[in-house]
Parts: sequence; C-alpha cells; structure tokens
Amino acid sequence: MTKNNRIIYGLILILGIAAPFLFPGFKLQISFMWLLVVLALTWDVQGGQMGYNSFGNILFFGIGMYVCAGVQIGMFFPLAEWTASGGEETFVHTPTQYFQGFFIGLILSGIVPGIVAALIGYGVLGLRGQYFAICTLGLGIAAGEIAGGIELIGAGQGMTSPPWPKNIGSLELRSQFFYYLCFALMAATFLFLKYAYQTRFGLVLNAIRDNEDKAEAMGIHTMRYKITGWIVSACFLGVAGGLMGNMVGYIEPVEIAFAGATFGVFMVLMAILGGKGTLWGPVIGAIAFHIFKEGFWTFFLGWQYVALGALIVIIVVFFPEGIMGWLRERYPDKFGETVDESDIKAQVELK
Amino acid sequence: MSQYKIKLISMIAFVLMIGLGFTGSPYAADDTIVLGAAVSLSGKYSTAGKHTKNGYELAVKRINSMGGVKVGGKSYQFKVTYYDDESNSGRAAQLAERLIKQDGVQYMLGPYSSGLTKAIAPITEENKIPMVEANGASRSLFTKGYKYLFAVLSAANQYLEVAIDLAVEKNGGKPVKIAMAFEQDAFSQDVRLGILDAAKRTGSKIIIDDKLPKELNDMSATLAKVKAVRPDVLVVSGHSKGALTAVRQISEMKVNVPMLAMTHCDSSSLSKQHGKKAEYALCAAQWHKSLSYSDKFFDTASTFDKDFNAEYGYAPPYQAAESAAALLVWKDAFERANSLDKEKVRDALAKTDMQTFYGNIKFNQQGQNIAKPMVLFQVRCTGDSCENKVVAPTKWASSKLVHPVPKWSER
Repeated sequence: MTKNNRIIYGLILILGIAAPFLFPGFKLQISFMWLLVVLALTWDVQGGQMGYNSFGNILFFGIGMYVCAGVQIGMFFPLAEWTASGGEETFVHTPTQYFQGFFIGLILSGIVPGIVAALIGYGVLGLRGQYFAICTLGLGIAAGEIAGGIELIGAGQGMTSPPWPKNIGSLELRSQFFYYLCFALMAATFLFLKYAYQTRFGLVLNAIRDNEDKAEAMGIHTMRYKITGWIVSACFLGVAGGLMGNMVGYIEPVEIAFAGATFGVFMVLMAILGGKGTLWGPVIGAIAFHIFKEGFWTFFLGWQYVALGALIVIIVVFFPEGIMGWLRERYPDKFGETVDESDIKAQVELK
Repeated sequence: MSQYKIKLISMIAFVLMIGLGFTGSPYAADDTIVLGAAVSLSGKYSTAGKHTKNGYELAVKRINSMGGVKVGGKSYQFKVTYYDDESNSGRAAQLAERLIKQDGVQYMLGPYSSGLTKAIAPITEENKIPMVEANGASRSLFTKGYKYLFAVLSAANQYLEVAIDLAVEKNGGKPVKIAMAFEQDAFSQDVRLGILDAAKRTGSKIIIDDKLPKELNDMSATLAKVKAVRPDVLVVSGHSKGALTAVRQISEMKVNVPMLAMTHCDSSSLSKQHGKKAEYALCAAQWHKSLSYSDKFFDTASTFDKDFNAEYGYAPPYQAAESAAALLVWKDAFERANSLDKEKVRDALAKTDMQTFYGNIKFNQQGQNIAKPMVLFQVRCTGDSCENKVVAPTKWASSKLVHPVPKWSER
C-alpha cells in the first residue's frame, strides 16, 4: 500500500464513520447510499468484470430480505401468525431475541442466496450474451410473482420486519446501528472485491469477458469461475437485502424485495454511470447517482423521472464509458498507461 | 495510486456535502402547523393519489380561511409538505423517514393505499409521530398494536361483504356461487378475506379465486372462466385500474353475470369513462354525496361535493372526501389537546368522537374508525349520462337494486 493509498482509505474511513455526526438528519439516506454502492459493486462482478449482463441479481437481494426477516420472526414466533392479516395477537421481540434473530438472520441472508446462486448458476450461466440477460430478467420477475403468492411470507400483503425493541437506547441508536452495518458491509464488499480482482480469479473473470472460448481452450474451467463469481455477488447482495428489509420495516414482494423496476435497474445504471469493469467505477457511480436522484426528488417533484431520464441520456451520449472511462481517456498516464505520441502520429500519417 | 484519486475523492466528498446540504428546511414557523404527507403523484396510484392530495388541499384552505387552528389562545395555519412516493412502498418508507428526520415534521397525514400506509406506519410508530391516515383500509394495519396510527375509514374487509349478503338475499336466502379476482396487494387481498368470511357465514361456494398482477391491464383469462362456469356473483378489486380493466373486458367479452361487485368505481370515474358499459356495476364506497352527515366547515356531504367540483372541476370520489376529513380530525385534536406537544395531540386523537360531512369518526384501541358504515351504490344510466345511486344501507338508498343484471343481448 502506497502512502497516497493510505491517505485516501483513511479519509474515506473517517468520513464514513463521522458522517452520522456530520449530517445527523441524513443517516438513512447515507445508509441507503452505501447499500446502493454494494448493489453496483456486486452487479459489476458479472456485468463489468465478467461481461455477463445480469438483470436478475435483484433475485438475491429479495431472497436475502425475506430470509433475514423470516428467521428473525420464525426463531421466536409462528411466522404464519405474524404475517396473517387478520391475526389478533401482537408479538413483541425482547432486545435479546431481536439481536439474536437479527444476526443469525443476517448470516443466513448471505448463505441462502449463495446456495441459490450456485444451483441456478449451474443451469443459467451456460447461456451467453442476450440469452443470459433475458433469462436472468425472467428470474427476477418470476421471483417477485412467486413471493407474492406464498401465504407464509404474507403474499401480496407484504410482511413487516420486527420493529426495533422498545426501551433500548434512543431513537438515534437504531439509525446509527443500521448506518454502521451498512457502512461495514460496503467496506467489506469493496475490500473483498479489491482483493479478488488482484488474484488469478479476477484475471480469469476478465479473460471470460474478453474471449470465453479462448479462456476455455487454455484449460480454464470457466463455469466454475462464473458460478463462484455469482455466489460472491449473491452473498453480499443477500446481506444488503437483509439490512434493507430491516431498515424499511416493511417487505413488499415486487416493490421492495424483488424490485426489478427500481433497484434492479439502478444497479446496472450506477455501474455504467461510474464505469463498468473498474473497481472504483461502481462506487463513484452509485454515490453520484444517489445524490442526483435525491436532488431531483427534492427540486423537480413530479418531474423527477424526466430529469433522471435526461441524466441517463447525457451519460450515454457524453460518457459512454462512464465517469472512470472518461477520466481514463483524458488522463491515461494517471491510470498507469503510457501513450506513445510518435505511434499516434505515425497512425495519423498513414491515413 | 496517484493524485487523480485524491482529486476525485475530494470532489466526491464535496458534491456529497452540497448534495446532502440542500434538502433540509425548518419544520414550523411561528404560526403554522406543518403536516407531512407522501402521496402518489406518479405511478399506478397517481389518479387516486391526486384525489387524496386535492382532498387535503381543499380542507387546509377551508380550515385556514375559517380562522385556522386555535391552540393556547393563538391561531395557527395548516401547511402540508408533500413528496411523491411514486406508488412505491420502498420510496414511501424512505420519504416518511425523510419528512420526520430531515424536515422535522411532527404530525403526518397518510399516503394513498393500504400498501403504502403499511410501509409508512412502522416508521411513524418508531419515531412516535402521530399519523391520521385516510386511505389505508387493510385490516393488517390494525393488528400490529400501533399506537400512533389513526384511520378515518372503514376496514377493507367490510367493503364487499354486504354485496354477498345482498346476493344471498336475492337468491331467496340460499347460498350463491362466487367468482372472484383480486389484485396482489394489501388492500385487495383484504377485501378478499372479507369475501371469504362472508362466504363461510352464508355457506356460499367460491368457484373461482384468482390473483391478478399489480399492473392490471388484462384479466381475460379470469373472465373466460367466468363465462364457462356461470357464477351468481363476480367480485373484482384492483384499485382504479382494476375497475376500468374489468368493465372494459366484461363488455368486450360480453360476460353475463347476475351481479358484478367492485371497488374503486368512483375514483376511476367509471360511469364517465365507460358510460353505459359500466351500468349495473355494484360498488363499495366509504362515502357518497347523498349521505346526511354535516359539519361546520363543509356543511353537508352535498355541499362538499359542490365546493370540490367548483375548485377542481370534477366530482369528488370518496378518496378525496375521507382525505379532507383527516384534516378536520387533526384540527379537532389540536384544539382539544390545546397544545402542540405530539404526545398530548396523540392522546386527544385517541379520544376523537365527532361528526364530519364524511361521517362519524370515533377510533377504537387500534386506531380504526368504528363509527361509520360502508355504502354500496350501483351505476345507473338515463340516456347516455350515468350516475352512482346508493342502494344500501337502506337509510340512504336513493334507488332500488337492479338484480339480476340484464344480459348483454338485452341491453
């Protein structure tokens, strides 16, 4: 780690830890921002590094959300009675129950989507290009519809996640608790992917993106790497879902859990905005996207989607490679790339 | 790692601070009481969301112009801070948090639809912010032990139970065959539970029980089944879009069914949009202009209808009426509490017992309004102009129920 590196990571860490005190009113929004970073980062594992445009990653987000809330409730109370609409009884978690359930739920919300990714991945990752994209899109939509039909998890009624236990700390404690969990998840995802991209694993993903047949011909079991990549995405996404379900407090099958039309699209958009296939791109993209979005929602009430649409058009026209791609083109030397001026001249003269 | 990243990071940090800095605003000036509301101005509930907002606005204007709210010898004006929740529960929950945490709102008005109210209620509850909501009817809202939630409307399961009773009565007291189709959302699924209860009570049989998708544009599969099995009652509920889709396709496919019972006929202005095709549809409503309730702000139900029409250019559906009533409840509670302290106001809300143009309002332990019955009306046409006529309960009935619905070949 170079000195500059340490300064930057130190700064982000300090900013991340201090943010709830610097902007006390915006804790929730910044928590959401960290989760969006996780969404963009995990999408980029497929979409950017591996060259597989997945539109179904929201599947793991939703599964994580339901698993976490389901475990939190199911460990102590009958889940069916909790979700039943006309239920007469009110269940209340004690603080110990709440935190026990929450942490076990959170761990499972990473593991279960990972297993699902492994099972589905084996069948789906054999598809390439648009076939893979369409197939995953279908998975995401189907998951929402199926979840909307399962009575145990509330079906179309949705499901409330357990409320923060009463008489424990102030109201602020809850949002701080979730804020730091979101920040920690974001940091863990980032550091893990940073490490993974430096290893052989990262190189194989890039090889798959650049020429999968050639990679296979060189003796790489591409399928194993593709599945592993998907499992990694699914685990982190699942935990993000578990956190989101608890923060929002209400899980709706198609609008919150398997929200293909919002989070499912946002994760792709953010990665492309920042520059897909780079480590920092999704991070920058997610932060910029979130700030723009919140700004539009405040100032262009009623026209927010039009403004957002205009933003997307601008991105596609002026920054087709994303913010990182644009920077890379302008300042190639800062990215450790050397430009051979004489070579460029020679090419121009040839024409 | 090089300098560009330092620049980049500092740039991001800067943008972040500006971006987050511009949203805050103080919540209450000296003489205003600010209420927060996230309503659907876009998305699938945008029509009903607009009715909700217009209802709120009209009541705010009326109360302010008639002297405002008197608390502690001082007169306050109501002001509502709106956000657009895009008919999305995730967004609604975020906005509720934002209204409370960033905008410092202390009192909330509800959004449109049960699903969105369910998304907001955990947040208002956690922050101990009282919310008077006018558009969340799902029974599940009232079984969670919420203490800060007050609903001025009747619960969703009561919407169409009466229709089943009517069908049984018309069938000579014998059980009927019911076909039903409901949207996959909190409200419609609750209406379904009500029908299940009614079917059980009357011994009726349910022969079709379909779930419809959220963006309800097609239900021809259900209607094809209805044509084949000939039920006595067809029940459909899926907000405004569901009502419009149902009537459009029933008339296109010429489905003959003795009784068609629905929800959301007036918020979708069914009788205007589909005219004679919608005739004889039976609809559940929270309110109707012919009811005989009154208060000093809007006078009677029919004057509310006139005033609303003059202001917004269309007849108020019950969503607008109940939304307006929510403001009257707030005013009453503030004045009885004689304080702006949210706990005191909550206690005053819990003791509400009043009459408004919209109906009587009295909350039970769970915050549900138990003082007001539902009404059923039927779309009736004379010539080409169609109107909603109340057929039940008998106290306000202005016309007799036409049963069975004439066949399409005879219309």
